[in-house]
Amino acid sequence: MAGATQSQLVEQETSGTDAVAAAAVGVSAILFVLSILALFERITLTDPIAGLPTVTLLGGLLVVLGGTVMGFGVGSRLGYVETDPSTSAGLIASFAAAVPWFVVGGGVASETLGLGAAGGLVAGLLTGGLAFVATALPREDLGSTVPIGALPVLTGLVFLTGTIGPGWIWNLGWEQPASFTAEFVVPTVTLFNALFAGWAAAKAYGGFGARGRHMGAYTLVYLNALSIVAFLFILVAFVVVQGIPGVLTGVQVGAGVGPESTIFGLTFSWPISVPFVMNGVALLNDYQGVLPAIVGTFWLVVGAVLFAVPLGVGAAIFLTEYAERGRFTQIVEIATNGLWSTPSIVFGLFGFAFLVPRFGNQKSLLAGMLTLGFMLLPLVVITSREAMIAVPDEYRDASAALGVSRWQTIRSVVLPAALPGVVTGVILGVGRIAGETAPILLTMAGGTFVPGGQTVDVVGGFQFTATPPFVANPELLQATSALPYQLFALITAGVGLGQNVADPDGFRWATALVLLIVVLSFYAIGIGTRYYFRRQLRHE
Amino acid sequence: MSETTQTQTQTADDTDQPLTTVSGETEEQTQQEWVEYDFQGEAKLVSEDLDVYYGDDHAIKSVSMEIPEKSVTALIGPSGCGKSTYLRCLNRMNDRIKAARIEGSVKLDGQEIYQDGVNLVELRKRVGMVFQSPNPFPKSIRDNIAYGPRKHGDIDTGLLARLLGRDDTDEEEALVERALKQAALWEEVHDRLDDNALGLSGGQQQRLCIARCLSVDPEVILMDEPASALDPIATSKIEDLIHELAKEYTVVIVTHNMQQAARISDQTAVFLTGGELVEYDDTDKIFENPESQRVEDYISGKFG
Amino acid sequence: MASVTESEGTGLGGATRRQIQRVRDFADDTEPAALVTVTVMAIALLAAFVGFLLVSSLTIVPFAVFLLAAGYGWLRHQGPTAQVLTLTMTVSTLLILGLIIVFIFIEAVPVIRYESATVFGVSVPGLRMFIETRWDAVSDPVRYSMVPMIHGTLLVTVIATAVAAPLGVAAALFLSEIAPATVRELVKPGVEILAGIPSIVYGFIGFTVLAPWASDQFDLTGQGTYLFVGVVVGLMALPTVVSVAEDALSSVPESMKSGSLAMGTTDWQTMTSITLPAAFSGVSAAVLLGVGRAIGETMAATVMLRGVPRLTDPLVNVFYGQETLTSLIARNYGEADGLQMDALFAAGVILFITVLVISIGSQYIEWRMRRTLGGEV
Repeated sequence: MAGATQSQLVEQETSGTDAVAAAAVGVSAILFVLSILALFERITLTDPIAGLPTVTLLGGLLVVLGGTVMGFGVGSRLGYVETDPSTSAGLIASFAAAVPWFVVGGGVASETLGLGAAGGLVAGLLTGGLAFVATALPREDLGSTVPIGALPVLTGLVFLTGTIGPGWIWNLGWEQPASFTAEFVVPTVTLFNALFAGWAAAKAYGGFGARGRHMGAYTLVYLNALSIVAFLFILVAFVVVQGIPGVLTGVQVGAGVGPESTIFGLTFSWPISVPFVMNGVALLNDYQGVLPAIVGTFWLVVGAVLFAVPLGVGAAIFLTEYAERGRFTQIVEIATNGLWSTPSIVFGLFGFAFLVPRFGNQKSLLAGMLTLGFMLLPLVVITSREAMIAVPDEYRDASAALGVSRWQTIRSVVLPAALPGVVTGVILGVGRIAGETAPILLTMAGGTFVPGGQTVDVVGGFQFTATPPFVANPELLQATSALPYQLFALITAGVGLGQNVADPDGFRWATALVLLIVVLSFYAIGIGTRYYFRRQLRHE
Repeated sequence: MSETTQTQTQTADDTDQPLTTVSGETEEQTQQEWVEYDFQGEAKLVSEDLDVYYGDDHAIKSVSMEIPEKSVTALIGPSGCGKSTYLRCLNRMNDRIKAARIEGSVKLDGQEIYQDGVNLVELRKRVGMVFQSPNPFPKSIRDNIAYGPRKHGDIDTGLLARLLGRDDTDEEEALVERALKQAALWEEVHDRLDDNALGLSGGQQQRLCIARCLSVDPEVILMDEPASALDPIATSKIEDLIHELAKEYTVVIVTHNMQQAARISDQTAVFLTGGELVEYDDTDKIFENPESQRVEDYISGKFG
Repeated sequence: MASVTESEGTGLGGATRRQIQRVRDFADDTEPAALVTVTVMAIALLAAFVGFLLVSSLTIVPFAVFLLAAGYGWLRHQGPTAQVLTLTMTVSTLLILGLIIVFIFIEAVPVIRYESATVFGVSVPGLRMFIETRWDAVSDPVRYSMVPMIHGTLLVTVIATAVAAPLGVAAALFLSEIAPATVRELVKPGVEILAGIPSIVYGFIGFTVLAPWASDQFDLTGQGTYLFVGVVVGLMALPTVVSVAEDALSSVPESMKSGSLAMGTTDWQTMTSITLPAAFSGVSAAVLLGVGRAIGETMAATVMLRGVPRLTDPLVNVFYGQETLTSLIARNYGEADGLQMDALFAAGVILFITVLVISIGSQYIEWRMRRTLGGEV
C-alpha cells in the first residue's frame, strides 16, 4: 500500500547519470547567456563566434540540449537510469508543452504553408493537442522530456539548415507596419528553448517525481531572483557609467576653487568645484549645471515633510490610541489606502485645481510642496500606524497602572517605541516623492534652463507685509525647477538643447545620475536605519 | 559532571537514602547503566551520543537510547530539558531550525539517518509526527487525510487521472476510511468528509492529525505532547488511541504529564535539566523504584 | 491601545448615537477651561479652512487664532488638546480624499456634458467619450474621446501584469520561503531599491536605449511601442507585488508548514499545496495592487509613447504605442485650455475611479481572508 515503488532511505551514488542531466542544464545555461548577449547586441548574427556562424553555433547547441534531455528520458524509461518518476507528468507540464507547440504549428501552417489564420489555428490546435497528450499520457520520465526536448531539436535543425538565418524576416502585414526580424527572433527563440529545456533537464536531474519537480521549480525561481538583482545592478551601473562624465565635467580640486560659504562668521572657499551641481544654466557659464533643480528638490522635500509628518503621525496617534475600532476607523483606513494607491498625476491635477488658484493663480513652490505632501501623507499614516500597533499593550497597561494619563503614556511610552518605524517609513516615503515628476509638473515646474541666480532662497525670502496675510514669502510662490522635472524637460527639449549646453546627451545622463543618487541615498538610509533598529531590538 | 556526582556520593553517604552502587563501579558507570535499557525484541530507533547545540546552548547532552519497536516509549521531564528537541531529531525536523547543530548518530532499522544522501522524504514517510497544537490544513477532512499519499504519488485523483480513467478514487476512499477508523474518528465524521477540517473541535482535530499521520503508513509515530492542548475527555480518547496504535506502530511520546506517561507507556525515559538523559527503564520501574535520586525527586514532585 | 467594543446599536443610527455619547463623555471628563480652549481651536481651524477654500485673504486671522488657542491649550491642557488636535488630523485625511474627488469631478463636468450621446432618446452625459474613437482638440468637430487612451492603458496594463505577476510572486516565494538568510538580506533590499528608481529615469532609459532598439528589431516606423512600455511599467510594478505578496506568504503559520513537511513532502510541494493556497488572498491583493500601480504610471509612459491619441491598427498591434490616460494628461497640460483641460480632468477621473475600485477590492479580499482563516492568521 505504501507506494508503488518503495524508495530507499539512503540514496545510491548515481554520479554517471547525474552528470548527463547536469550537462544538459549546463548547456541550457550557456544558451541562456548567449541569447541574452545576442539580444543586447554584444554578439551579432553576422559575426562568427569562435569561427562558427552564430546561428549555426546556437543551432548545434540546441540540438545537443534537446537530444540530451530526450535521451535521458528514454534511458530512464528503459531502466538504464535510476529515477523516481510519477505515473504522469501532470497538467502543468502538459500545458507548458502544448503552448509552444501550438505556436509552432500555427505559425508554420499559416505562414510557411500559407494557409492563413484559420489554417494556422487548426494546425496549432493539432500540434498543441498532440504535445499535450504526449506529455500527459506516458510515464513522467518520458512525458516531461520527449515533447519538451523535441522543441530545441526542431529549432536547432531549423537554424542549422539555414531555414531561419541572419537575413530572415517576417512582415506581419499590418496597417502600422511591424515585422519579426531574425535579430529578434533567433535570440528570443533560443532563450525560450534554453529556459524550457533547462527546466526539463533540472527535473531530470532531480530524478523526476516530487523531487524532480522541486528541483525544476527551484531552478526557475532562483534564476528569476538572480535576474531581478542582476537587472537592478545593470540598470544602476549603466546610469552611473553614462552619467559620470557629465557630472564630472569641469571638476576642479584645489584650494580656493569652489564657491564661498559663511559658517559661524567664517568665510571660506570650498576646496572642490563641481560645476554640474553648483551652477545653473546661463550664457556666461563655463559649464552648465542643475543647481536650481537640486535646491528645488531639497525645498520640496522639506516642505512636504513639514506638512505630512505631523499630520500623518497625529492621525495615526488618534486612530491607534484614541479611536475605538469601528466604522470610523474602517473608513479612514479605506480612504488612506485609496489615497496611497492614487496615481501621481491625479495628485498633480488636484494640486492644479485646488492649490494653484489659491496661491496667486500661478505655479509655485508652495503648491508643489503641498501636493507632494498630500502624496506623502498616506504613507506616513500607514507606517506610523503599523509602528504604533506593534508597540505591545503591556507597555501601555504598565503606564496606566502607574496612574499616568493617556496622552502622557502616548508621549512617553508609545511614541518613543514607535519612533524607529515612523522614521524609517518617512525616509522611504521621502525617497519616493523626491523622484516624482507628475505632481510637480502641473503645480510647480517652470523653465527648462534656470540660471543659477534664480535658485530659490526660501529662508531669506520671508517678509512681513502691511496687508493680510501679513506674512509673505515670494520665493515660495515662484515656479521653479526640481530634479525629476529637470530631466523631463531636458528630454522633451530634444534637439534644441544643443544651443545651451555643450553636450546635450551627457547633460541628460548626468541629470539622471544626480537624481538617482539623491533618491537612492534616501532609500539606502531608510533601509539602513530599519536594519539598525531591528538589530537593536534583537539585542534587547 | 564527575565532580557533581562526587558531591552527590558524599551527600548520599550522609543520608539514609542509598544510591545504588555495585562495589567498585564509579558514578559514571552507574549513570551509564541507568540509561541502558534491556528489552525483548528489536530496537526500532537507536540514538548514540546525540548532541544538539542551539548556537552556544548545549540543548541535548550525549543522549544514547534504544527505542523498542511496537510499543510506547514516553519521554518525560521538566520544561525546557530537551525532550521535544530530542524527539525532533528522530525525524530530522530540527534541520528546519537554522541555529541548530546536531552531532552524533540516529539509526532507523540500523540505517544512519544523519548521513549524506539520506532521502528526507522517505525518512519522514516512515517516521511520522503529531504536534502539540493540532495543525490540520485549511482543507476538507478527506483532503487532509489523503494529502500525504497524494503528495507521495501513491494515489492520483487529479483531473488528468480522472480524464484518463486511471484515477485511484476507490483506493483513496478506502485509505481515508481506514485511517479515520484507526484514529477512532470515523464514526464522528464519516458523513461530512468534505467539510473543512478547521470546523472540528480541538480533540477531533488532533485525532484528524493522527489519522493524517497514519495515512502514509509510517513505522514510527512521534508525538509531541499531543494532548496538552485538549480537555480531559479528549485526552482520554487520545490515550486509548495510543494504546491501540502501539500494537502496530512504534510510538514515542513526549509528555509533561507524568500520570499520563505512567498510564500509557511501556517504557519511560527521564530527561532532566540541560538535555541530559538520566534514567530509562520499564515504566513501572521508573515510577515505583527509580535508580536515580534526581528522578525520584522529580517524580515525587520535589521539583519541576 | 483602543479597545474593541461590541456594537450595541445596529448600523448608522447606533454608530451615530455612540459617537454622540463619546462626545458627551469627553465634554464631561474635561474641565471647562480646557473644553473652551479646544472648542475655540476647532472652530478657528474650521473657519480658516473655509477661508482658504473661498480664496479669502482674511484666512490668516482664524488661522492665527487657531495657532494661539492650540499653543495655549498645549501648555495648559495638553491631554484634551492633543486628543482634539489628532482628531482633526485624522479628519483631514478623509477631507483630502474628499477634496480630490470633488475638485477633479467639478473640473471634468463641462467636458462630460459636451460629450453627451443620446440613447433611446435620452441624452446621457459623457457617453460619447466612450463610444466614438476620435480625439481631436483642434479640427472640427472637436472630439475628446477617451477610447484610444483607454485602449492604450489597457494594453500597457495587461503586458505589465503579465510581467509583474508571475515574476513578482515567484520572487516573493523566493524571499519568504526559499532564500537562505544571507541571500535574503541581499535580495530584499535589492527589490526595494528597484522600487525607488524614479519613473522618469526608467522613462529616460526606455526612451534613449530601448525605443530605438525596438524600432530596429521590429522594423517599425518611428519609436514608441506599447509592448516595451508595458515591460518597463511591469518592472516598475514588480516591487509592489513582491513586497505585499511576501508579507502574505510570511504570515502563514509555521505549524501548517511543519505539518506538511513532517509528512515527507518536498519544500516545493509544501509551498504549492499549503503555503500559497493559504496566502492566496494576500497574493491576489498583491497582484491587484501591482495592476493599480501599472495603471497609474505616468512619466515612463509619457516619455516613451508617441503622443498621438488614436487606436492602433490592428487593435492588438503592440508595436506602436500611442497614448495612455496618464501620458495624455502629462503631455497636454501645458497647452490645454478650457474644454481640453477639462478633458484631461475627465481622464483623471477615469484613472482615479479605476484605481480606487481596485484598491478597495484588494482591501476587501484581504478582509475576507482574515475572516475565513478564523480571525488569527
